[in-house]
Amino acid sequence: MVEPSTAAFAPAAIDTHAVATPAEHKPAWSILRKPLILGRKTYGEVTHDICSLLDRKPTAAWWGAFFVAASVLGIGIASVTYLIATGVGVWGLNNTVGWAFDITNFVFWIGIGHAGTLISAILFLFRQRWRTSVNRSAEAMTIFAVICAGLFPIIHTGRPWFAYWLIPYPNTRGPLWVNFRSPLVWDMFAIACYFTISLVFWYVGLIPDLATLRDRTKSKIKKAIYSFFSLGWEGSTRTWHRYEKLYLLLAGLATPLVVSVHTIVSWDFATSIIPGWHTTILPPYFVAGAVFSGFAMVLTLMLITRKVMALEDYITLYHIEQMCKIIIATGGMVALAYMTELFVAYYSGNEYERFTFINRALGPYAWTYWTMVSCNVLVPQFFWFKKIRTNVTAVFILSIFINIGMWFERFVIVMTSLTRDYLPASWAGFTPTLLDIGTLMGSFGLFFTLFLLFARFLPMIAIGEVKAVLSYGVHPKGENA
Amino acid sequence: MYFRGNLFQFSAVLNNKKDCVRGCFQHDMDGRPPITEGSRLKDADCGNMNHEDQHNTTNAHTPAGIDRRSFLKLAGFSFASACLAGCEKGRVEKAIPFLIQPEEITPGLAYWYATTCAGCNAGCGVMAKCIDGRPIKLEGNPAHPLSRGGLCAVGQASLLGLYDSHRLKNPLRNGRETTWDQLDGEMMKELETIRRNGGAVRFLTSTLTSPTTRAMISTFLRGFQNAKHVQYDAISYSAILDAHKVTHGERLLPRYRFDQAEVIVSFDADFLGNWFSPVEFTKGYRAGRTLEGDPPRCSFHAHFESRLSLTGSNADERLCVSPAEMYESLKRLAELLAVRSGKPLAVHATLSPAVETKVSALADRLWKARGKSLVICGMNNRHGQLLVNAINDMLDNYGRTVDIARPSYQYAGNDAELEVLLREIRSGTVTALFVAEANPVYDLPDGAVLREALKKIPLVVSFAERVDETADCARFVCPTPHALETWIDHEPAEGVVAISQPTIPPLRNSRPLIESLAAWMGIKESALDLIQREWERTVFTRQAAETSFTKFWNKTLETGYAEVQPKVQSSTACDYAALAAALASSHPPAVADSDYTLILFPSLTMLDGRHAHNPWLHELPDPITKIVWDNVASVSRTTAEKLGVKEGDVLRIEANGSMIEMPTHIQPGQHDGVVAVALGYGRKGTDRFTNIGPSWLQARPTVAPGELVGKNAAHFVHFLNGHLSYLIGKVSLQATGTKYTLAKTQEYDLQREPNLFGKQTSERRRLIQETTLAAYAMDRSAGSFHREPLDSMWPEDHKYLGYRWGMVIDLNACTGCSACVMACQAENNIPVVGKDEVRRNREMSWIRIDRYYDEDNGTFSVAHQPMLCQHCAHAPCETVCPVLATVHNEEGLNQQIYNRCVGTRYCANNCPYKVRRFNWFQYRHGDEMHKMVLNPDVTVRDRGVMEKCSFCIQRIQLAKIEAKRDGRPLQDGDVQPACVQSCPAQAIVFGDMNDPNSEVSKRMKDPRYYRVLEELGVHPAVGYMTLVRNRDKKTEVPHG
Repeated sequence: MVEPSTAAFAPAAIDTHAVATPAEHKPAWSILRKPLILGRKTYGEVTHDICSLLDRKPTAAWWGAFFVAASVLGIGIASVTYLIATGVGVWGLNNTVGWAFDITNFVFWIGIGHAGTLISAILFLFRQRWRTSVNRSAEAMTIFAVICAGLFPIIHTGRPWFAYWLIPYPNTRGPLWVNFRSPLVWDMFAIACYFTISLVFWYVGLIPDLATLRDRTKSKIKKAIYSFFSLGWEGSTRTWHRYEKLYLLLAGLATPLVVSVHTIVSWDFATSIIPGWHTTILPPYFVAGAVFSGFAMVLTLMLITRKVMALEDYITLYHIEQMCKIIIATGGMVALAYMTELFVAYYSGNEYERFTFINRALGPYAWTYWTMVSCNVLVPQFFWFKKIRTNVTAVFILSIFINIGMWFERFVIVMTSLTRDYLPASWAGFTPTLLDIGTLMGSFGLFFTLFLLFARFLPMIAIGEVKAVLSYGVHPKGENA
Repeated sequence: MYFRGNLFQFSAVLNNKKDCVRGCFQHDMDGRPPITEGSRLKDADCGNMNHEDQHNTTNAHTPAGIDRRSFLKLAGFSFASACLAGCEKGRVEKAIPFLIQPEEITPGLAYWYATTCAGCNAGCGVMAKCIDGRPIKLEGNPAHPLSRGGLCAVGQASLLGLYDSHRLKNPLRNGRETTWDQLDGEMMKELETIRRNGGAVRFLTSTLTSPTTRAMISTFLRGFQNAKHVQYDAISYSAILDAHKVTHGERLLPRYRFDQAEVIVSFDADFLGNWFSPVEFTKGYRAGRTLEGDPPRCSFHAHFESRLSLTGSNADERLCVSPAEMYESLKRLAELLAVRSGKPLAVHATLSPAVETKVSALADRLWKARGKSLVICGMNNRHGQLLVNAINDMLDNYGRTVDIARPSYQYAGNDAELEVLLREIRSGTVTALFVAEANPVYDLPDGAVLREALKKIPLVVSFAERVDETADCARFVCPTPHALETWIDHEPAEGVVAISQPTIPPLRNSRPLIESLAAWMGIKESALDLIQREWERTVFTRQAAETSFTKFWNKTLETGYAEVQPKVQSSTACDYAALAAALASSHPPAVADSDYTLILFPSLTMLDGRHAHNPWLHELPDPITKIVWDNVASVSRTTAEKLGVKEGDVLRIEANGSMIEMPTHIQPGQHDGVVAVALGYGRKGTDRFTNIGPSWLQARPTVAPGELVGKNAAHFVHFLNGHLSYLIGKVSLQATGTKYTLAKTQEYDLQREPNLFGKQTSERRRLIQETTLAAYAMDRSAGSFHREPLDSMWPEDHKYLGYRWGMVIDLNACTGCSACVMACQAENNIPVVGKDEVRRNREMSWIRIDRYYDEDNGTFSVAHQPMLCQHCAHAPCETVCPVLATVHNEEGLNQQIYNRCVGTRYCANNCPYKVRRFNWFQYRHGDEMHKMVLNPDVTVRDRGVMEKCSFCIQRIQLAKIEAKRDGRPLQDGDVQPACVQSCPAQAIVFGDMNDPNSEVSKRMKDPRYYRVLEELGVHPAVGYMTLVRNRDKKTEVPHG
């Protein structure tokens, strides 16, 4: 039985605006374990470090980033408005290739979200205490990624104003129900479920910190808002106890989602009849890829955040290294999946299947395939080297490559399989239009805009949780080593 | 199925303009006095009054300010005034039929009128389907002796021309609109002057198959001292007629009986494409290749050509030779047969040994099939045609496969007379030129010179539907009606006479040619009167079945045609002495293997250019190249490499001082020494199609600014030995370096997968089951794909207790002509999406014809495979639709429910046949006029929804309703989807698979039956039948 780590939730956040620990009691480093938080922080310093980010006026860097993100979002809004006003034809799709950028983006963003859930739920259950520094941001990333992902199934339809017909609800049309055999309906359930649980999980984790903010703030409006959302948090042992039970349960609930959501998304393809889609390997392959891409995205975001927000003490090189190691592991799984796919295609004796995979690697879209392979199989190998793992710039660049590679992986699966399927007479290509690119950019704009707003209005690091790991790596008796 | 009764009266009225102007059909021919609007209004009013009086006392609730009586009065008055306003309008601009409903016509019900197709000169019999007073579909008339139920794509599309908003609204005088009265007044004065001064009057037309029109013209011209009627055809067959004048003493075009021929050798005659009577020929060709009996009946067809034609793509043995070699082969064939038959014919040919062997084998084959063989030649060259006549005579084919006793009148143009006329025009000796159904400025060589010359002629009168290139130079332009809104007669072949009857009041202020001529002769008679008078005099007398002319006329109207006594009996003896003399005085085309040769051929859709304003035809993929909205310069791959051009690169073609620049198309199966260009493009006014597709940010116009649809290559046509020649030697080809985007509906041409590893061979996909006749004769299931027994975990969840619809397509019969594609377009309201959308692979046609090339052991083959929704029993599209917008019905139809569709396109992705079509935009259905052609029985789809073949469910429902009304079970053949009905080769059969006696069930039991992608286990309801080529066993193509 997993005993919830009571230590994970350290002393109450109720009066932390006062310096709680005298300076002479600062902990000493242990030689056995590396500390998770650098700088020998006290509880008060932690609270101050994180909350003061929200008190200060936004920096020029924030404004600059926000301006860029919002502008790109603007392009996205314009593209989607034009799309809805004109028709799906403004994308480069055709009779043969019915999905390309739209569903690629959808699968990509869903995958990105997975790292957040993995960090917050699975790593929590596995008592990976280093997660505390990144879990809040990673969960926020999950929610924003799911929002981005969820947009695409809606806007990719020919008549988005009827997209709600995918929801089974009692209606006056008979009632006419949805087709429960369709993976798109399963998708709808999976994503709705995923979004709801992720949101609740994130919100529950936020409650103690919201209470801290409530207690610190002097603005009446802020106080009212924080009071409302902190649900009357009082920081008593009983509250903490119940809170921790709830958190544990939610972590348990969220854990299967890490596997189920991308499995269901992969069924969109796996249950179809199209060679290149119709493979049983897709669910594990998608999940591994999702975690892989998710961690790459967490890295990208965290490396920017720790620099811009001066959180180097909280998100340390140790954290970065840990995430790099996960990327090596999941990257290996992805590489194995690529090879298995090729082998199965060869071994199946199915001529269509065989051709599809040869065509991916050697056909007119071979460059997308090799972009995918280089980014997802070769790039993670750099992380075997500690020098690279601890070089922030290198990690940042490599993480971007993995993000690109994983987008291409989805593109290769979705698009190249469709371009050349059964009847050669109906083979066709795909060329993206400006609107395809605009919509893809717009989704990144939306993601970063939401993330920047999050960084301004909510604590980016779980204060309560971090306090619990301050003693990690510290000599138990507080003696200097 | 057809409502033929009472057509005469109804149709007769239509032509009566006085009634037509009211926009409603009144039946004063029935003898009843027409009901006037006034009297009708009075009746209605009285009715109201009586009704009011009875209930006046009970009317307690009166709305403020107006009582019920006043309301009804006002309402009645408004309605009546609306009616009056509608009726009093001078002319019908927007035809709103049935403001006052004729009693015989039920709104929404289809009425069928037998008439004659005017898409080309072949004169196929058609049934025009009219709903609410508008013709909306043309179908082949199954009883017609020539076309026997088939109708080609061009014929079907000719319907759209009726609703062309660019047709002339009024007669023109010097380019300005005028009235008929004014025009007539001035014309009579002009004609009087000419008559007095003895000026030269020339009447230039294309071949007129209408006896009345020919008679009217000759009567009209009789009034002048120096007058002549010249007929010419832009795609000329004159050499065939002239050769027969030499050999058989009569200038005639024989009728070819392909059904009687066991060995067919064609020298570049595209008789399945558009060689003068393609529907008739396709029917005959098909009849000779039914594979019935033992040994299986299948003619042998050898085809010499340099380009790849539709006919060549169907040939059993296709000899891809240079034009010079083809000519030599023809000579050698004549030489070899002359030796065998001992006929006095001295020709000598030099051939390469490879071709020599094949030609002598053909000569053997032909000789063995004496009297049951047929040699034809598509070259408009007298020398060549003389040889063909000699060959057919030596083979004893005259009177058997070549019928000159009942010749064809479909094309009778005389190039020699045309040449004389052109000389006269250029020298300025013509005083008055009348041009009808012809566009010489566009389609003759030296069009520019001709245009200048026409301007110098004092009086040029053009009879045309629009201001075409020739009408542009005319002083008077007389708008002529579309064939579907006028009376006209036809005699497409000796002894076959037919009527075209109007199916709609004229939409324009047009006047038939014969009415105009009559008016200028001072006769105020309608076209109907003129035709009836002519028929009573010349046609009625040639038949014995009916004693009363009215009865004969009515019967002809009802059936659409009549067979009468043939007029001439020609001798069948070939005059070899005359032949030898004529051979000596004529020359073969001047082409040599050392140069590039330009081959001009009529486009399969535009023909000679007459359909250039028809967007349906522009968007119909060429059956061979699959290119839409353009004509191209086709060259072989080797030639393209030599010239350094790729697909779409603009090529400059120069010869004899003429030049043209057009996009290259790399055509497999073409000879290296030729470049082939289709005629019929680059017509004036086709820039109207610039914005035919959807307009959005990255949309490209269908026609580039300042350009036209395609390029006109007619200026390369030249006279050789007094005949229009379409072969141009000594051509120089040069890459211009410019790129051009072509739009194609098929991008990959092979059944084989591309060699991505660079291997020599690659997998050939199991799409087209084909075998050779030799193999088939031994084993009826020869060529069949190996089938693994299929296990399915899917329950048989459909019981199909009643009907279960299915279709079988015989690949052996299908020629790839694309008539079905056009039939579907017209029947199912398929929008025209423009070149850019096709380029983006978003064409909307529900049925397409997949055309595959295959090169195996040096044999180049082409296969055509119609592909449409396969209505799978285990349909992959049905399971994936999240909203149940595509479902299976109890009769096996895969149905698309447009208003439920949200447009996820998952179904289309999951369709292994890729036959689903998505409405990427709100596609326009043409302008206001074009919308009149829409079939009211078929929903016009909105943007964002998926669509696909429905097996013409509207026809299934109609047939069921009719059967139920008549209290009978549905018979096999009662339901004919549009594609099935139109197919000239009857390659498609549709019916109930649950009925063991239906044609479909019978064909499903045939060993040739197979289903495409059967191994996927989707259980398609559409099956195919093996393509059997009349080849030796050894050339059979192995399957992958």
